[in-house]
Amino acid sequence: MKINHENSNDDMNTPSKMQRREFLKLGFMITGVFAGGTVLSLASNIDVFASPEEFAAQYPYKPHYSMLIRQNRCIDCELCLKACAETNEVPSYGYRTNILERIVPDALGQKREFIPVLCNQCNNPPCVRVCPTKASYKDKTNGIVTIERRKCIGCKGCVLACPYNARYFSEEVHSIDKCDFCFDKRLSKGEELTACAAACPTGARTFGDISDPQDFVFKMIHQIHNPVWVLIEGAGSKPNVFYMKA
Amino acid sequence: MKKEMICLFVIILFVAVMIVPVKLVASEEEHGGDIIYTIPLKSVLFSHKKHVEDFEMDCDSCHDDIFEMESLAVQQKNDFTMESLYDGKYCGACHDGSTAFASNSQCARCHIGVKGYNRLMGKETGEGGH
Repeated sequence: MKINHENSNDDMNTPSKMQRREFLKLGFMITGVFAGGTVLSLASNIDVFASPEEFAAQYPYKPHYSMLIRQNRCIDCELCLKACAETNEVPSYGYRTNILERIVPDALGQKREFIPVLCNQCNNPPCVRVCPTKASYKDKTNGIVTIERRKCIGCKGCVLACPYNARYFSEEVHSIDKCDFCFDKRLSKGEELTACAAACPTGARTFGDISDPQDFVFKMIHQIHNPVWVLIEGAGSKPNVFYMKA
Repeated sequence: MKKEMICLFVIILFVAVMIVPVKLVASEEEHGGDIIYTIPLKSVLFSHKKHVEDFEMDCDSCHDDIFEMESLAVQQKNDFTMESLYDGKYCGACHDGSTAFASNSQCARCHIGVKGYNRLMGKETGEGGH
C-alpha cells in the first residue's frame, strides 16, 4: 500500500474522499488491522474491506492455497518431514519443509517450541523476481510458486533471494527443488491436502483455500481472539503461510 | 560388661556409617532416571528426577497402579495415547489441569521431538535435511 500522491489536493482543509480513504487505510496498515498484520499489533487480523473486489484483490487466486501453522501444537514428531520426503522424492541432503526448535531457558513451564517452516508461496515472491530464465514462476491459477526444471540453470539466485530459506539444489534432478504444496504429486491428482498436513497428527499443519470464506484456514486467520502472524513480514513478500497459537 | 558396651557402640557406629551414605545415594539412584517414550511418537521425556526429587513424589504415587515398574512397558499398550491421558489414564491421572498442568496444554514441555531424542542419544541432528 502506497500513499497515492496523484490525488494531492492543494486545499488542505477539504481533503478529497480518496485522500481520506487512503489515509484511513494507511492507519489500518500501521495498526496492523489487515490480515497477516504485525506481531506487535494487538488485533492483527480484522479485515476491513470496502467491497468484494477489494477482498478478491487480497486473495487473487482460485483456489488460493494457504497453510496455517498452529505452532503450539507442533511436537517435532517429524511425520510431516517423512511424508514430504516420500511423496516428493526429496534426497537426504535436501528438504522441502523443516522444523525449527526454539529453546527459552528462562521461560516458566514449557521452555521449548517447535516451528514448522516451508515455502510461503508468496504473493510477491522474491525468488521468482530474480530467476534469470523464468524457471521459477507463480502459477497463474492457484498462485503456487513452481519450478520448471528444464529451464533451471542452477544459478541459485533464488536460494539467496528467498527470505525463508525454502529452496535447495537437487543433484538428482539437476534443478532447484522446493515445496509446491504437493501440487504435482497430490493436489493435481484430486487429493485435498498436502502430504505434510495429511500426516500431521496434532493439527499443527492445516491446509486450505482462503479464497473460500467457509474454509477452516480462512476462518482461523480472520478472527480476533488469537493473534495471527506471518514470518519475516518485513521482506514484503506477502506470504501465504500463517502462524498462530491455538 | 564395659567391653561389650564399647563393642556394641562400635557396631552401631559402623552400621550407621554404612547406612547413611547408602540412603543419600539412594535418592539419586533408586528412581528410574530419564524415560524416553518413542511409541506412538518420537518422543516424550519423562524425568524421574523432576518428579521424585523436585516434587518429592513417592514411588507408589505411580507404581504399580498407573505404570508398571518395568520402564517403557506401557508403550506396548494400544491405548497409550493422548486420548487416554485426557480420560485420566497414565500421565493424565495427575496432568489434568488441577494436580499438574493439563495433558492438552504445553505440548512441547514433555514432547521433545525427534531433535530432542537425537540429542539425548548423542546423534547428530541433520541440519537442514530431512
